[in-house]
Amino acid sequence: MYINFRHLFFSLISASILSACGGPDTAEIEAPAIDNEQEVQDYYAANPDFFSFKNISDLPTDLVWENGMHLNELGSEQATKGGTEYYQIQDFPRTLRRVGPDSNGSFRPWINDYTSLGLAHRHPDKFEFFPALAESWALDPENKTVYVKLNPDARWSDGVPVTTDDMFFMFFFYQSDYIVAPWYKNWYSSQYTNITRYDDLTFSITTPQFKPNGGSNVIGLGPVPRHFYRELGDDYVDRYQWRFQPTTGPYIVRKKDIVKGSSIVLTRLDDWWAKDNKFFKNRYNVDRIQLNVIRDTAKAFEAFKKGDIDQARLNLAEFWYDKLPNSDSDVQNGYIHKSLFYNQRPRPTYGLWMNTSKALLDNLDVRIGIQHATNWQLVIAKYFRGDYSRMQTSSDGYGEFSHPTLKAREFDIDKALEHFAKAGFIERDANGVLINADGQKLAFTLSTGYTNMQDILTILKEEALKAGLEFRVEVLDGTAGWKKVQEKQHDIHFAALNVGLEMAPRFWETYHSDNAYDDAFLEDGSVNPDRKLKMQTNNLEAMTHFEMDGLIERYRASSDKEEMKALAYKMTEIHHDYASFVPGFYQAFFRIGHWRWLRYPEFFNHKHASMARQYHVHWLDLEMREETLAAQKAGKTFAPVIRTYDQFR
Amino acid sequence: MNPQTIKKLRRFREIKRGYYSFLFLVGLILISAIGELLVNNRALMVSYEGSWYFPTYSDFHPGSDFGLGYGYETDYRELQKVFKAAGTGDFVIMPLVPFDALENNSSTGIYKPEAPSAEREHYLGTDTTSRDILARLFYGTRIALLFSIAFMVWVYAIGITIGCAMGYFGGVFDLIFQRLIEIWSNIPFLYTVIIVFSVIPATFANSTRIAILLTVMVLFSWTGMTYYMRTETYKEKSRDYIAAARIIGASHSRIIFKHVLPNVMSTLVTFMPFTIVSAISAITALDFLGFGLPVPTPSLGELLKQGTANLRTAPWIVTSAFLTLVVLLTVVTFIGEAVRESFDPKKFTVYK
Repeated sequence: MYINFRHLFFSLISASILSACGGPDTAEIEAPAIDNEQEVQDYYAANPDFFSFKNISDLPTDLVWENGMHLNELGSEQATKGGTEYYQIQDFPRTLRRVGPDSNGSFRPWINDYTSLGLAHRHPDKFEFFPALAESWALDPENKTVYVKLNPDARWSDGVPVTTDDMFFMFFFYQSDYIVAPWYKNWYSSQYTNITRYDDLTFSITTPQFKPNGGSNVIGLGPVPRHFYRELGDDYVDRYQWRFQPTTGPYIVRKKDIVKGSSIVLTRLDDWWAKDNKFFKNRYNVDRIQLNVIRDTAKAFEAFKKGDIDQARLNLAEFWYDKLPNSDSDVQNGYIHKSLFYNQRPRPTYGLWMNTSKALLDNLDVRIGIQHATNWQLVIAKYFRGDYSRMQTSSDGYGEFSHPTLKAREFDIDKALEHFAKAGFIERDANGVLINADGQKLAFTLSTGYTNMQDILTILKEEALKAGLEFRVEVLDGTAGWKKVQEKQHDIHFAALNVGLEMAPRFWETYHSDNAYDDAFLEDGSVNPDRKLKMQTNNLEAMTHFEMDGLIERYRASSDKEEMKALAYKMTEIHHDYASFVPGFYQAFFRIGHWRWLRYPEFFNHKHASMARQYHVHWLDLEMREETLAAQKAGKTFAPVIRTYDQFR
Repeated sequence: MNPQTIKKLRRFREIKRGYYSFLFLVGLILISAIGELLVNNRALMVSYEGSWYFPTYSDFHPGSDFGLGYGYETDYRELQKVFKAAGTGDFVIMPLVPFDALENNSSTGIYKPEAPSAEREHYLGTDTTSRDILARLFYGTRIALLFSIAFMVWVYAIGITIGCAMGYFGGVFDLIFQRLIEIWSNIPFLYTVIIVFSVIPATFANSTRIAILLTVMVLFSWTGMTYYMRTETYKEKSRDYIAAARIIGASHSRIIFKHVLPNVMSTLVTFMPFTIVSAISAITALDFLGFGLPVPTPSLGELLKQGTANLRTAPWIVTSAFLTLVVLLTVVTFIGEAVRESFDPKKFTVYK
C-alpha cells in the first residue's frame, strides 16, 4: 500500500484494460549474470550532494520522534487466519514487475498498493500516519528534512533485513533509465534533494519544499530490495518480467502458482515479520487468495452466484437492485450477505473534459452553454437510481480543502440557449441542432474509454439535443481512449482521473499552462501566438489562465495550511468560471455481496477505504463455510443480512 | 423474357416454402421502407388550431409550434395527452409504436429493462436504458437488411468484373490476379475491420461511418466470388457462340457482359441469398463484439449483447433479438434453397 505516486495520482481509472497473456520467460534462463554493485556505488559517489554518508553521532539530538502508536488498531479482533479465498480479475497481469512498461495495470494493487508496506501509512480512520517499516520518524520543517528509524525486525519475504541500503537503492532504481519509467525518474529526481545515511537503520531524506502534510512525501516511500536487483541492467524489462520481487508485505506469489492467462495465487507468509504488529495483526487473514481470470463481468457475477467466487462488487445499480435484489433467494436464505458502506475520501473526477484548444470550445459562452446542456441530474436520478451524487467541483472530497459553497451548473435549457446565442448560435437546423450565421453546426465528439458507461453518453446526447447541442458519441477501448486524450485529440471526453488519499488537491498537473502548451504566455501575460499544444500531460482541458499559473506556483511552494486553503478555493473558483470541466458524479459509498462465510468486521471497514478489500480486514470462517454448504444442501436457511454502514456518511 | 427464365421463375413459385419466404421478405423490406410511419415518436398527423401538420418526414417542429413552451422537438405523446385534456378538438395521431429507437422512455423513473407491456405500448419491452426494443429491432433489422443488400451489390459488382476478366483474358493476367487474390484473402478480415473501424474519427457523421464499414467489409469479401466467375467464364469462353461473337467483331466488354454473363447468371443467383445471410451474420457479430455500427445506432448485435449480459433479469431482450435473427436468416436461407433448386438445370436428370 505504500504510496506509488504515479498510480494513485495520475493514472486514468481503468474501466477496461486490454487483455494480454504473458510473454516468454526465457530471458530469465539465458540472460548472462550481471552484478551492478560497482555501478551503484559509483553512482552514489558521483552524486555526493544527493547521497550523503554520516555517522549516528551526527544525528541531531533535538529531534521530536513520532511513531503513531497511539492510533487505534485496524481490522477486527474476531478475525481468524486461514482458508483460500477465490476472487475474479478481469485480465491476467502482463508482468510481475512493479515498474516499467505494462506494470501500471489493474493487477498492481495485488502485489503492490494494497499488500506492500511503506515506511508509514495514512491511518484510514484518523488520517495520521501509523508505522509500518519505520519504527519512528521525526520532522524537521526548517531544513525540509524527515528523519526515519527503520524497524529492526523488518524483513523482506526472503528473510533479508530491510536496511538503509534499500532506501538508497530506491533512488538509484527509480532514477535509472533501466526501468523505462520516465514518470518515476522525474518524480524521484525532482521531488527529493538528499538522502543521508546515519547507520544501517537510520537515515534522513530532504525535499525541495516542505508541505504541511506530516512529511507524507517521505514517509509514504517504500524501499526497493537492493539484493534482488543486483542484475538490474539494460534488459531489466525482460529479465524481471515474471520475477516476483521480494515483498515487505504478507503475500508472495510462488512461481508454481502462476498459470498464465488463467489464474494466479497470493500466498500468505506464515512467519511474516509484522504479523503481531498492532496495525497488521488483524489484517491479511486469508492464507491463499486465488485470482481467477474471468473477462466478462456478467459471467463473473454468475460465478459469484454459484459460489465459485467469495465476494463481488455490486456498485452498479443493475447489480445491486436487479441481479442480486434483496428478494433473491440466496439473500433471503441468508447465504449471501449484502453490505453497503459509506466512505469518505477524495473522489475520482468523473466528468466531461473539454479540450479548449479546439475551435468553438475556445469560446467561454459555448463552454458554459455545454455545462447547462449536460443533464447529469437525469443520469444520476435515472441511470444510477439516485444512489450517486452530483460532483460539484473537480476537487471534491478533500474535506476543508474542497470549496465549501461552489456548485456545479445545473441542467437548464434556457440558460444553455442564452449562452449559445451569445456565441452566435441562434437558428436550429432541420434536426433541431443549433447553427450559426456561417452554417456551422453546434456539434462535438463526445468520446470515452469506458465501454461499460456508454449508456450514460447516449442519455446525455438525447438530452443535449433539447438545447440544440449535438454530441457524437465515440466509444473506444480503455487504452485507445486514454491515448486520445493524452494526445489532446479529443473534443469532449468523459473520463475520471484517479486520486490518492491526500490532504489537499493538486492543480499543477491538470490546470497549469505548462502542461497545456510550450510557452503558453509571453512575459507580460498575453497569449503567445506561436504556442504549441503539449501532448502526454494531464491538462486534458488545455487550460491556460495566467493568474491561475501564478496561484498554482504559490500553492505548490506554500507550507502554510491556511494560505493553501485560500488558494485552493480561489483556484477552484477560477476553474469553475473557466467552465472547461463539467463535473459529473461521485459515489459516496461502495457496496458488495459476499457469501456468509466471508466475514467483515462489525464496523465493516475504515473511513477512508476506497474499496471493501483495500485494507484486507476480511477473513474466512471455514466452519461457517461447511455449515452454509451443508445448509444449502439440506434446504436449511439463515436470517438474511442486508446492512448499511452509514457511520461515515 | 427468355422462356428458360420464365420456366425457372415458375419453378421457383412452385417451391412454396421459398416462395412465401420471398414474399415475406419483400413485404418486410417494403414495410421497413415506410418504417417511420409505423414506428416513430413523431406523430403521423397533428391537428392544431385548424391547421394540419404531418411531422413524420418534415423538419422538426419545436414545442412552441403547438403551444408548448419549449424550443426543442415536440414530445408528441405528451402533446396527445395535452390535447385530450384540453378537449378543444385538436388531436394527434401517433404511429402504431409511438417510440423512436434512440429515446429513453421509462415508466418507473429509472432506466432499467422493463418487461413487454401492451398497456405502455412497449410491445417487446425495453432495454437496459429504457429504449423500446421493438423500435430498436425494427430499425436495427432495416439497417442490417439495407447494409447486406448494399454489401451484396458491391461484392457482386467487383467479384463479377474481376472474375470474368480473369476467366476471359486468362494467361498472365489470370495468373497475377490469382496470386494477388490469394495474398489478399489471407489477411484476417475481422481484425482488419476492427483496426480500421477503431481509427475512424467520430467527427464523421454516422452514415459516413457506416459507409466506411461497408467499404472495408466489401474490400475483404469480393475475392470469394471471383473463383466461381473465373471457372464459369473459362467454360463459356471455349463455346462456339463466343467464338462466333468474336468473329463478328464484338468487343471484349460486350462479349463478357452480353454473352458470358447471362449464361453464368444461374450460378450467381444461387449465391445471392447466402451472401446476404453472411453479411447479416457478420454485421451482427461485429456489433456483438462492439466493433460494428457506431453507438447508439440500433442493431441486432447490440441487443444480443445486452441480452446475454442480462439473461436472468431481462430475458425478453435476448429472446426478441434472437428470434428476429433466426427468422431473418431462416427466411433468406429458404429463399436461397428455392432459387438454387429452381435454377438447377438437372431437375429431371437421373444419375445411374
